[in-house]
Parts: sequence; C-alpha cells; structure tokens
Amino acid sequence: MRRSIIILLATLMAVVLPASSMAATRTAKSSLSGTVTFWNTYSPDEKAALEQKVIPAFEAKYPNIHINNLTLPYDGTFTKLITSIAGGIGPDVVRSDIIWVPQLANINGLEPLDKYSWFPSLRKAVFSGPLRTTFYHGHYYGLPLDTNTRVMFYSKSMFQAAGISRAPATTTEMLADCAKIKALGSGKYCYSEGGFGAWSIMPWVWSFGGNLTNKTFSKATGYLNGKGTLAAVNFLLGMYHKGYLSPNILGGGIGTWDGFGKNYAMILDGPWTVPFLFKNQYPSSDYGISLVPKGPGGSRSVVGGEDIVMLKGSRNKPATAAFMQFMLSKQAQTMMGKVGQMPVLNALAHSSAFPAYYPIFQQQLKTAKPRTPSPEWSKIDDTFTSQLSTVFHGNASVKDALNSAARTVDGLLH
Amino acid sequence: MRSQSLKPVARAAAFTPPRAGILQRMRKYAPIYLFLLPGTAIFLLWTIYPLVDAFVMSFYHWNLNGPSTYIGLANYQQALADPIFIQAMKNVVLYALISVPGQLIFGLAAALLLDSAVRFRAFFRTLFYLPVVTSWVVVSLLFTYLYNSQAGAINYILYDVLHVIPGYIFWLGDENVALPAIAFMNIWKGIGWTAVIFLAGLQTIPADVYEAAKVDGAGRIQRFRAITIPLLAPTFMFLVVMLVIGAFNTFIQVFIMTQGGPNHSTETVLTYMYTNAFANVDFGYGAAISYLFTLLMFVISMAEIRILRRRSQY
Repeated sequence: MRRSIIILLATLMAVVLPASSMAATRTAKSSLSGTVTFWNTYSPDEKAALEQKVIPAFEAKYPNIHINNLTLPYDGTFTKLITSIAGGIGPDVVRSDIIWVPQLANINGLEPLDKYSWFPSLRKAVFSGPLRTTFYHGHYYGLPLDTNTRVMFYSKSMFQAAGISRAPATTTEMLADCAKIKALGSGKYCYSEGGFGAWSIMPWVWSFGGNLTNKTFSKATGYLNGKGTLAAVNFLLGMYHKGYLSPNILGGGIGTWDGFGKNYAMILDGPWTVPFLFKNQYPSSDYGISLVPKGPGGSRSVVGGEDIVMLKGSRNKPATAAFMQFMLSKQAQTMMGKVGQMPVLNALAHSSAFPAYYPIFQQQLKTAKPRTPSPEWSKIDDTFTSQLSTVFHGNASVKDALNSAARTVDGLLH
Repeated sequence: MRSQSLKPVARAAAFTPPRAGILQRMRKYAPIYLFLLPGTAIFLLWTIYPLVDAFVMSFYHWNLNGPSTYIGLANYQQALADPIFIQAMKNVVLYALISVPGQLIFGLAAALLLDSAVRFRAFFRTLFYLPVVTSWVVVSLLFTYLYNSQAGAINYILYDVLHVIPGYIFWLGDENVALPAIAFMNIWKGIGWTAVIFLAGLQTIPADVYEAAKVDGAGRIQRFRAITIPLLAPTFMFLVVMLVIGAFNTFIQVFIMTQGGPNHSTETVLTYMYTNAFANVDFGYGAAISYLFTLLMFVISMAEIRILRRRSQY
C-alpha cells in the first residue's frame, strides 16, 4: 500500500512539476510585452533574413512583443545614434560596430549587462575575443553579435595571366608576385587598399610584428613607432613606389571592389564581400581566398564585427533583454550566419550549416587582433591616417611621421 | 499756446478708462501679433534657443547623457592652439580666395553675354543656371567621378587626349591639389547664381548713360570701365559678402568628396566642427569652434562692407 502511494506521488510529481514549470515559463514569456526598437546597419540580404526569418521567429516565441526594426546605412548611423541618445528618443537595442561601444559607454549611453542574471551563461557561450570588445572600464556593455576579419581575395585570371600558380603565403612571395603582375601593363596593380585607416593598415603592421599600442592600450610610444610598424609602413611604401600598390590608397581613385580583377589582383576584405560583391555584382568573377601573407609577425588581420547593446534609455528593458538573448540563440545565429553574418557562439564554431568560405575567416580570426578600445578611437585613427598620408605624399619620413603619431596617441590614451 | 491746445486732449485722455485703451489696442494689433506668432515661435525655438544653448555648451565639457563639467574658456583655448583648427581656417581662406574671384569673373562674363543680344538667350540662361539648382550632393558625386585619378574624365582629357599634363593628377588624393579642385567645382556651380545677380545689376544701369558716353566717343572697354564697373559696385558688394560667407561655410562638398582629407588638406571649419561634435562626441569643443568661426565671419563681413562702401560712392 505504502509502495503504491509512493509510486502515485512520484507519478503525480513527474507530471505536475514540469507542467507547472512550463506554465511558469509561459507566464514569464507572456508577461513580456510591448515594442522593442532595433537599429542596425545590415545589408539588404541580411535585412531580409532578419525581417523574414529572425523577427517572425522571435515574435512567435514572444507573441506580445513587437520588434520595430530600422535598418540604416552605416554612414551616419553613429551620428544619428548619439543625437537620439541626447534627445532621449533612442532605440532600445542596437547592433553596434565594435568600435562604437567604448564611445557609447563613455557617454553613459549603454546599459551594463553584467548585472543581469542571464548574462553569465551568454558570456560563456560566445567567443572570448569578440566578447572583449564589449568590455569597458570594468563592465560588459554588450554581447558580440557577429564577428569578421579581413582576408586576401585574389583574382585567378590576373594570377594566371601573370603566370602565378597560387596565392602568396608570405610577404616575400607577395613581392615576387607583384613584380609579375606589374609586368601585365600600366593600370594593373598587384594590391589595392582603400586608405590609411587602422582597419586598412593594421593587418600589415601586425604581420610585420608591429603594433599600435602596448597590450593594455595605455602607451603608443615604442609600439606605433616601433621596429615592426616601421617595417610594415616601409613595406607598403616600397610597394607604392614600385607601382605594386595602387595609388587609390591616397583617395580619389578606382575603388578596391570596382577595380578587382580588372586593375587589382589582390585586395583584403571581409566575409560580406562574397555575397555582396561576387554573387550580386560580379557573378562571373573568378576569385580565390587566402590568409593574409605571413610576415615576421605571422599572418595577422584585424578583428571586425558588431556587438548587440542595450541603451540605458530603453523604455522596455525586459523585452529588450529577451530579444538580445534570442539574437544570440543558435536559431537566430544560424539564420543570420547563412547570409554572411559570422556567428559568435562556441557551439556553432564547426557547424556545417554555413557558407563554404567561412573556415578561412575563422582561421584568420585565430590570429586577428582588435583595434584599440578607446573612446578616443576616432582621434587615434585620424592621427594614424594623417601621418601615413604625409609619408605617402613624401612630406615626412616614415620614422618622423610615426614618432609624431606615437606622441599624439600617447596623449589621447591618457 | 501750445500747452493750452493740448490741455483738452490730455484731460480727455485722463478720463478715458485705461482698460478700454488696452482692449482697443489689443483688438487693433491682435491679428498682427497672431500672424507674427508662429514665425516668431519657430525662430525662437529652432534658431535662438540652439544658438544660446550652443553658446552655453561651449563653456562645458559637455556630457550628452549626464551632468556636464564647467571648464570656462578651455574649449576656446584648445581651439586656438589646435593645429587642425588653424589649418581649417587657412583652408577656408584659400578656398574663398580661389572660388570668390572665380565666380565673380566668370559670373560677370556670363551676365554680360546674357545681357547682350545673343541668340538663344533663354536657353543660355537656363544652361548657366542649371548647376545652381542641382543639389550639392549630386554635383559632388558627379565631380568625384570626374576627378577620379585613375579613371576620371578630366585626367583622360588632359593627359590621354590633349597631353597637357605629364601624368595623371590625383585631384582628390593630393594634399596640394584637392582643395583647389573642390574650389574649381564651386566656381562651376556658382557662375549661374552670380550671373543672375549681375544681370539684375546690369539692367538697373540706365541706357542713356551708355548713349551719352557713346556720343562723347567712349569705346566699349571705356564704357565698361567707366560706367558698368562703377555702377555695379553695390552688386559687387552684395556678391562678395555673400560668396565669402558661402565659401567659409563650405561643408557638403568636402564631406562627400574627401571628408577633409588627405591629411586635413581640405578640412573646413564646419567639417572639423562636425567631426568633433558627432564623431568625437565632444560637443563643447564643437560649439566653441562654431562660435570662434561666427566671430571671424562677423569681423570679415563688417570689414568687407566698410571697404566696399568706401569704394562705391556712386
């Protein structure tokens, strides 16, 4: 008798407890309601995936929450964002360039996420490198949403015409290949770079063993004007003088995408290049992808990507938190991953659901480095850009320009 | 006598209930004030309030989203010691020195042409004015293509067709060329407007003055020097003031074509102010730059008006 009572109680518990917990979850979900405004700078393909797949899936899970999506062009979004924060009419959640996060946190515009109970589990679930881009003054102000880096895209037809059989693995091999490409005639360049910004130049600086600052991002002297940085700038300057590097680096020439395959044999770019450029604009273009050529400091590139951040002025933080968590779910990361947004979840690192070109980017990311996380980043980048421009215009020596840049950046870091 | 005659009026006024006077005046002027109210309110809210707010902001280390710190004149001191701000000031002066005389000379030439009995006058008027009504954004993008150092039409014509330059010029990538290149674009865009203003000025000159000069034996050039130029002096004054203000306020074309580069060689005061306020999120500094600039503009405009007034005593 006693035994049968115990079995009956156990059966009742087995049935009732999960049901009650499910009911509790359902109540918690249904208690979340209202509108969440989401700002992002997705490309048309990515926007379509977000609006047609991700948001409907979220709204099916949380029927009382409506996502108000606003996809903006990248240029001008930061301005729009800070203006809206100042006016108290900002969105609830933003897909922010990783470089904006320290600036937004510095103006007290972001909600620190490490105070929320759901944060630790997500912190463990994402790649540690991209997570570091959300850390500022002792707090995590966001979560990585997607990651990327730059790798080498090369034109197979130009390589073939120049008699080159494979992509250069080292900077020395690259110089030898460049000589062959130059021989193709005027208007043909081995390599094209869009400008002198850190995003463009730092892969070369790091690959030559140089750096912008020390590891704690507190000092530039000895790094920005160090031996490795000097060697990298001299490498690029030498390429420019020999006619290997296209003059469009100065500005006002044929863009890297416009000239790829016709004028330029090699460019560095991110994963969006494949769906956006090669599939939409140049479907017939033949291209190959390889790692950044290895220099004395290895094959290094720059960490890019976006973080998802909650604004301090969000009017619906519980619903916003639910949306952020959903954007970092396997489901949403897979949906966005298929259209070029490289996922940040450890669990999806080796997933076969993603495009075939992802592994090369993932391999490059292992040695890629972040830019300086500082609210003064735009000034640091401008200093770097201006000094390199001076060098390429022949108005200063590489050494003098980098010494001057290091002194200025030291002042900005303190 | 006068005081006596005024007495009854004063007495009458003393007996008039004051409220009736106010009501009467209100009834009389109310429609006028009501008409003025919307415009005044908009002006106060969207012009005066931001001006005052920016002035206050310029004395603070402005925090967008929290308490700001009062720093006195530090933003102004920083600007006066900032080499990029000084460079931007020099740039706008150089820009004005190229674009203002260019627009005046070509604008006057176009106006004289359009004022003469040329055939298809209406067509030419439209042609000259077309760039004026075209948006700066469109013109800037168009010239970015024309100035392309590797595939632009200008290099193609000058180097490949006419062989008048030794090699391709980096119009927007060369520190020494970029600013004049943008200023030349401004001349092209501004000719139509200056021509229209000159045309209006030319049509105010009485024809009998020219006829009298002709009777006295004055040739075309003499008539132009002794009549046209002096009588156009007020038009010149207006144009110089307006064009200098316009040149100093250059923003859109630089923002689109070079973003102030290369190496700040095309940086204007407004692009630098914008960068500081909206990219560096330093609104206090941006506001201080704008006030220093306003002061400079005020001084230059006053000087221009004084100098040109002294010379236009006709």
